[in-house]
Amino acid sequence: MKSKKGPALQKKKRKNTEENRWGYIFILVPLLVFAIFTLYPIMDAFIISFKEFKPLKTEWVGFENYKNTLKNSLFYKSLANTVVYTGITVPLSLALSFLISILIVPLTKRKQNFFKGAYYLPAIASGVALSFVWKWIYDPLPSGLLNRLVALFGVDNQNWLGSSKTAMFSLILMALLSSHGASIIIYIAALLGIDNTYYESADMDGATFFQKLRYIVMPLIKPTTVFLLVTSVIGSFQVFQNAFLMTGGGPDNATTMVGLLIFNKAFKYFEYGEASAQALILTAIIGIFTFIQFKLTGDNVEY
Amino acid sequence: MALYKSYSKNEKGRQYFRTGWIMLLLTILAIVTLFPIYYMIMSSFGAPVESGASSYSLLVKNPTLESYQFFFDYSKYSFRWIVNSFLVAGVSTLANVIFATAAGYAFSKLRFKGNKLLFSLLLLAMMIPYQVTQVPLYILIVNVLRMDNTYAALIAPGLVTAYNVFLAKQFIGSLPTEIMEAAKMEGCSQPALLIRIVMPLSKTVMAVMAINTFMNNWNTFFWPLLVTKTENMQTIQVGLKNFSFANTTYFAPMMAGATVSALPMFILFFALQKYFLEGVTVGAVKG
Amino acid sequence: MMQLKKVFTLLIVTVLAVGSLAGCKKDDGAKGADTNTVTKDNSKEDSSDTGEEELKEDTISVLLPPVTPTYQDNFDKWSKEFHELYPNLTLQIEPTSWEDVTQKLDVQVQAGSPPDIAFVGADSIFKYIDTGLLVDISNTATSEMLADFDENILNYYKKGDGLYGMPAYAEVHGIGGNKEMLEAAGIDWKMVQKEGWTYEEFREAIKAGTVKEGDTVKTYGFVFACSGVTAADYLNIFVRNAGMPDVFNENLKYAYTSKNFLKLLEALRALIDDGSMPKELSSVDAGKRWNMFLTGQTMITGKGLSVFERSAKENNDKIDAGDGSAVEGSIKTEYIILPVPTFFGNPISAAGAVDGYVCFRGKEEPEPQHLKNVAKAMYFLAGGEVSAVTCNDLYISPVCETGRQAMADVEIPEDKNEFNTETAALLVSKISEARPDITPELGAKAQKISDEVIVPKFQALLADEITPQEMYDAVKAAAIDAFGEDGIAVD
Repeated sequence: MKSKKGPALQKKKRKNTEENRWGYIFILVPLLVFAIFTLYPIMDAFIISFKEFKPLKTEWVGFENYKNTLKNSLFYKSLANTVVYTGITVPLSLALSFLISILIVPLTKRKQNFFKGAYYLPAIASGVALSFVWKWIYDPLPSGLLNRLVALFGVDNQNWLGSSKTAMFSLILMALLSSHGASIIIYIAALLGIDNTYYESADMDGATFFQKLRYIVMPLIKPTTVFLLVTSVIGSFQVFQNAFLMTGGGPDNATTMVGLLIFNKAFKYFEYGEASAQALILTAIIGIFTFIQFKLTGDNVEY
Repeated sequence: MALYKSYSKNEKGRQYFRTGWIMLLLTILAIVTLFPIYYMIMSSFGAPVESGASSYSLLVKNPTLESYQFFFDYSKYSFRWIVNSFLVAGVSTLANVIFATAAGYAFSKLRFKGNKLLFSLLLLAMMIPYQVTQVPLYILIVNVLRMDNTYAALIAPGLVTAYNVFLAKQFIGSLPTEIMEAAKMEGCSQPALLIRIVMPLSKTVMAVMAINTFMNNWNTFFWPLLVTKTENMQTIQVGLKNFSFANTTYFAPMMAGATVSALPMFILFFALQKYFLEGVTVGAVKG
Repeated sequence: MMQLKKVFTLLIVTVLAVGSLAGCKKDDGAKGADTNTVTKDNSKEDSSDTGEEELKEDTISVLLPPVTPTYQDNFDKWSKEFHELYPNLTLQIEPTSWEDVTQKLDVQVQAGSPPDIAFVGADSIFKYIDTGLLVDISNTATSEMLADFDENILNYYKKGDGLYGMPAYAEVHGIGGNKEMLEAAGIDWKMVQKEGWTYEEFREAIKAGTVKEGDTVKTYGFVFACSGVTAADYLNIFVRNAGMPDVFNENLKYAYTSKNFLKLLEALRALIDDGSMPKELSSVDAGKRWNMFLTGQTMITGKGLSVFERSAKENNDKIDAGDGSAVEGSIKTEYIILPVPTFFGNPISAAGAVDGYVCFRGKEEPEPQHLKNVAKAMYFLAGGEVSAVTCNDLYISPVCETGRQAMADVEIPEDKNEFNTETAALLVSKISEARPDITPELGAKAQKISDEVIVPKFQALLADEITPQEMYDAVKAAAIDAFGEDGIAVD
């Protein structure tokens, strides 16, 4: 027995070093790209956040930029706006994507093709071109498309993007209807990867549709849900383009997001140091949220 | 699919009924989702006029291809922009699919020192808003590496993204480890394992990755705007913006451009469809 | 067997990796070769052309937006002409779109590597001066060059002791009306063009111009594009005629804390409450209001530019052609330039948008000769023929003598409304006085108040979410915060 254990252990060790080596080789390129094109700029931004940055002369200002940011009431307002936007958009968008995916899966291939194409299209089209279309939909006059639609239900004419009551809602609606293409195909890919044997054994136990959903589908596609949740929250926290193109943050900063604030600081006012400080604070907040999501979803990667 | 109750032959009616209401629901949602696209395509057949002069109507009265003509005549580089976009998006996609799959496999199934730490670092890359990394990155690429106005500058920062590594890791992580163990028992080396076992089983996610990466690179705007200096190096998205003038925007040609630029994506999407559909299952191997 | 596969796999990965890199490299090489041949050509040309003196070769980089729809078509021609004029100098023009030119320039400036020349409006140069990269051209440009420009317009680029640019044009941002509707509402527009009008007259006029069909308004008296940041345009254009031609008064006190500012806000709000302007004004964008003008949904529109006369005409031609290419539901319109009404007995002070060319330096100290060369290029673009062509496209007159002379050779559009031409010239002469005394620091602070307080609050005021008093109080508080109790105007 003893003599047999020795070589086996050795073999395992050898395998481990091999795994080690190949592990590093496999992640080499992403790591290099990350180090050069992300880590380096982040370090730079970190250093800049303690400076008053000017192209010709930069001065150390210590924590001044951080202090200014934390004193700035607009920073908190935009943070609150961002949280509201994220809190509504991400869960709804995920739920919608999941629902649509579940509905598409049982169809014949031809129909699946059609619907996947249909839902993916908005993701393909250029955001700038689409923002023109959305402005047209949100036309504030009674002749506007959405206004004509809601008038059918007896709702008064709305100043969609121009009133602080509806501006955020309008941005959220736009996000919900145009951003789920990628999530849907990722969900479908995950759903199609579920082995039929699971359903077969569940059928034999007489499981209902919802039981199957609850006890087979949900757990098996959890890694996908975690992925979509984490990446959507990150993306949503940084959201910038829609507010920039549609409302410019108005009215009365009702739709100013942190991403827009950072952009303005960096480029409109050339206060790159403070912009970096704001960005790093935002990164920390996103980091905490991500950590919480991983913990809550219990996504313990099994090795 | 067996997620849904399968009906026996004499229950055909109920099956049609179920398919019917699913189709109805999906169609309603699809109409709402597709409406902006419809409007984009519809307006592209309008005459090339300034945006204020465009009709706020649901139907184009006199469909014309003039705006497409305008788009291609506007700059002698219109076609070149599309080629550039293809090149940049194509190379990025290829690189992403290969490297992200390999890295995703490594992070999810291989034990090596620093695995978790390195992965968290990679995730960090996604969390920092791009607005602030833009200037340091620009300084690096343009002032230090002097790569401005080259394809290298357009491609390099997106050679492989943290997003794709994360996606690959999540998918490959859910593949049964036993298959890999079995292959290893047979003396299969890691690269062989990656190419012969992991990649075939991950075809679906690789296709998803390919389409998403291609689309993102195709639609990306700000970075190409910064690093291109001549019209012949611009990508389609940068070129498209040339239709906005000081106080007017040529609306229909812009929509025509957007439609033209969306077309290759659409073709690619349908070309890759069969991979999404196959739904690679590991049952056979496992059994 | 496995070993072989391993090698094979590695090979594939390496080939792919190298391939993707090599692909780029190859292109670099090709590009490098291209530029080489170009410079070679130049030197050949130079040696044959320049006999009189040994001039050092120099390349001047320029970043330009499409100032007019035909502007960028001329780049090749202009570069060639410039090279013929100065055989040792090469103009390298990089075109970019209007919306993104600022963003691109800003990144380049932050990175310390801006182009030599950029197109920047006179009212946004403060932040560039602050970076230390904007070059004072008062010594690099010759006095003949500077004497060519109209003084008040050139002074828009003067801040403190430095001169930071050459104007390409001065465009009056005002309002414009539909001739037929103005006449139907009983407005003597010819007289208004000559003598201006007061707020009270204007208010009555747009009330008269508002046409209702039952409960719905068919035609508004006045619509101004106010969505997003354009809300600032509305206020900026009107506030000048309320005794505040600039955001600082002559004693360099912040002007918007005067009582007149509050009265102006009340007056502007009243136009909406009258029903003469749509209550959804806060989200009417530039495209929408022009559509409203062409379809007869508004009598007067803003912001108005001289070139709108052409846009209106183009649509009329399409209506005549009857091929359905005209704007749906549009009527024939004739665009009439109108002065902005005056408030509380104050004189007209037209809002001049002065745009032009500025000179940047890089991180390294530039050579004096290079800066002189850049000044030559700036003058080439801002003066003479180029300015004539540009201004003609915009339906305005050049702001330099050589440009006006060159105008003789430029084809003036046929049936241009002469009343408009006269009014435009009259209004240009009434452009508010340039304020070189406003320091970059003060200017930057005022800009910040505008962006962070005035624009958001004004949007809210237009949307009827706050009162004029509330907005006034917010602006005053911000002004005291920025300039102190004695840095603001009190009356």
